[in-house]
Amino acid sequence: MALRLGGEVAGARPRAETVRWSRRTPVLMVLPAVVVLAAITLFPLLFTLRLTVLSWELTTGFPPQFIGLQNFARVLTQDPRFWNAMANTGMLVAVGVGLQAVIGTGLALELNRLRGGRALVLSLLLIPVMIAPVIAGFQFRMILNDQYGPLNYLLDALTFGRVRGFAWLADPRVALWAVMATDVWQWTPFMTLVVLAGLQSLPGQLLEAAEVDGATGLQALRRVTLPLLLPVIVIGVLVRFMDTFKLFDIVYQLTGGGPGNVTETIAYYTYLEGFKFFSLGYTAAMSFVQLVVITIVAQVFLHYQKRVRGGAVA
Amino acid sequence: MRNARALGAVVTALVLALTAGTGSAPTGPAAAAMQAPKEQHAITWEYPPKFSNVTINVVGDAGHNLAPYEFWKDHFPKAGITIKIIEVPFEGVYEKEKTEFVAGSGAFDVVTFYPAYIGDFAANGYLEPLDEYMKKQPDGVWNPHQEDVLPPFRELYNKWAGKTYALTIDGDAHMMIYRKDLFANPAEQAAFKAKYGKALRPPQTWGDWLQVGAFFTRKKGQTLAGQTLDRDFYGSAEFAKRGFSFAWFVDRWAASGELYFDDTMKPQINTPAAVAALQNFVDSLKNAPPDVRGYGYDELRDALLNGNVAMVVQWTDVPKKGADPSQSKVVGKLDYGRVPGLAIGGTVVHRAMMPVGRVVAVAASSKNKPAAYWVAKHVAYDMSLEDVSTAFTGLDVNRGVHFKHPEAYSDFKTTAEAASYLDRVKEALADGYPEIFIPGAAQYEDALDLHVNKALAGQETPKQALDAVAKEWTAITDRLGRQKQIELWHQALNSYKIAGLVK
Repeated sequence: MALRLGGEVAGARPRAETVRWSRRTPVLMVLPAVVVLAAITLFPLLFTLRLTVLSWELTTGFPPQFIGLQNFARVLTQDPRFWNAMANTGMLVAVGVGLQAVIGTGLALELNRLRGGRALVLSLLLIPVMIAPVIAGFQFRMILNDQYGPLNYLLDALTFGRVRGFAWLADPRVALWAVMATDVWQWTPFMTLVVLAGLQSLPGQLLEAAEVDGATGLQALRRVTLPLLLPVIVIGVLVRFMDTFKLFDIVYQLTGGGPGNVTETIAYYTYLEGFKFFSLGYTAAMSFVQLVVITIVAQVFLHYQKRVRGGAVA
Repeated sequence: MRNARALGAVVTALVLALTAGTGSAPTGPAAAAMQAPKEQHAITWEYPPKFSNVTINVVGDAGHNLAPYEFWKDHFPKAGITIKIIEVPFEGVYEKEKTEFVAGSGAFDVVTFYPAYIGDFAANGYLEPLDEYMKKQPDGVWNPHQEDVLPPFRELYNKWAGKTYALTIDGDAHMMIYRKDLFANPAEQAAFKAKYGKALRPPQTWGDWLQVGAFFTRKKGQTLAGQTLDRDFYGSAEFAKRGFSFAWFVDRWAASGELYFDDTMKPQINTPAAVAALQNFVDSLKNAPPDVRGYGYDELRDALLNGNVAMVVQWTDVPKKGADPSQSKVVGKLDYGRVPGLAIGGTVVHRAMMPVGRVVAVAASSKNKPAAYWVAKHVAYDMSLEDVSTAFTGLDVNRGVHFKHPEAYSDFKTTAEAASYLDRVKEALADGYPEIFIPGAAQYEDALDLHVNKALAGQETPKQALDAVAKEWTAITDRLGRQKQIELWHQALNSYKIAGLVK
């Protein structure tokens, strides 16, 4: 008995050890990735969170001082420039990304009907996406130049001098729209690509069934294609929302936030506070407020996407 | 058919995409460096004992002001030095340099910066004091002859708390530049006389600026100096883009005799004189090209040199470019004068803003400080006459020796013309009015620039804009530490007085 027990015990040890090791192995395998992730995301996040409660003005050389939640109070209640930048960004997101979704979907539908040369056309269409935004900004600065830019020249030539173009980047009434147009030009092909991928994965039977049932092209588009595409479009819009929320390069190149502050985006203002004024605590607080806004909106999008995907599947 | 329609739609989109994706002309020192100016040998200097193949990293604002390192690229290897240039956008110099300083990366040996930031950089220990290097022997190698540097630049641009931390390479001030051919045209003179009852002449006051600007503003098809215009023509133009537009407001305000703050750092920026000055700036846009709110240095310069405007207030390097046929369509048609002023007590008081400027300094974190110092001294003194006299840089006179050699300014048709230009520059410098030279300058000036720009854009009235600036300046002072800022402001005031910029 004792021997059996001993045998059991003797046999159990290696088994227990094996179980322990088999439990530890995945942990050990994942550990390096966790350490790297903590180093590159968690540590900066926590460090930035700590900064939000400090007054740390690098221009003075004074050591940082703990000021509690004063930075957040300033962001939320005492800084009209922050809210102006948020409003400008909101406009770029709502209208600009909306336009990208509409035009991108239209182009994808047309591309999907192409039989030959689709790959070539798609590759060419993607050129703007491959250009660095700062270069795109520079190009549009040339194109939109009031006196020497080709846009106003074309407007003048095509209307026989009856229409005079705007000072696109200098007129407060249109400058934000010019920034938006640049962003739309650059990123609409991305939406096209995403929607085209979605279109090509749609089950053909549903469209054929609609055709058999006598649905017109427009009806099939409205009742079958678009509802099925909606989850994909929502993801595309979400990606573009997050990207446009951080819009910086184009603004830096085109307008520097002007005239006045009509084109100052939240990313540009954050850059100024962080890298021109070196107010580290305040910049951190601004960043956290933005993080909260992005997280909330992203959650809304994801929730909606889940719902429409469920609806589409059902 | 459907396929063809789809292809048509896609091709249209493609054409738009590819049309927009066209390239642009190269800029930067490489473009400007092609024509190094002729060596004048007016300044004597010597090479240092050869360094052992050290690399010196030089940082500065991209474009024509880094051209001297290209002009004199053969000099540096003879001193055992390899130069590596790091170009930063004009608006990004402070943030790039400050970021590297704070990070302690040691990325730069020689830093080029705008002197308004000397307080920030020197007080925080980012710069190497240069006094000991300047005293080293032999004199021809190490002495930058600071006694020859004009007092505003020597005292304000180069020193902090009594020590020298930087050497001036660009002595900036504003001057008025105008089309003398238009002012001298008899038909224009007669028309002006008939309209305003007085003689046509370059504006003496900012009120005149508006009047003359309105007079010369003409539509396409109208006549200007006997010629029918094939495009709209404008009386004046301004730097109205975000960044330095505040300087064109200060040009209009400074003659009132007021300063940015009083002794207790209470902002003086929203006085009635300041509001009137900003109103004048806003009103002047009526006589300017419609895209003037997008005009920075380049656009303002080109508006004049392409023959689109009658007059501008600009930095003093622009006349050199205006005399160069490769850059100007108005060669021989420009003249220069003092920035308009304000009529006070029966006389016109002129003040010219001194925005930007450039100095070179040695980073405290440099591993090759003696070599870095020699490079800085070589561009700031040894080759400085050549660098400021050519139209291929934007660098302006800053030393006595620069005024003594008009023959070096070979873009002007005659030495007499160059001498006349130098006389006008001397007047502009005598009218000089400084920027805010205390740590936090970037924040104070950004707040001022933002609200000036909002007034120009019609987002705020001049009064609202300047009241907002005063409020923001008070908040900035409180955040940065009021007591310390007051001490620094008193120090800056003292430097202004020593430099002869304020009484």
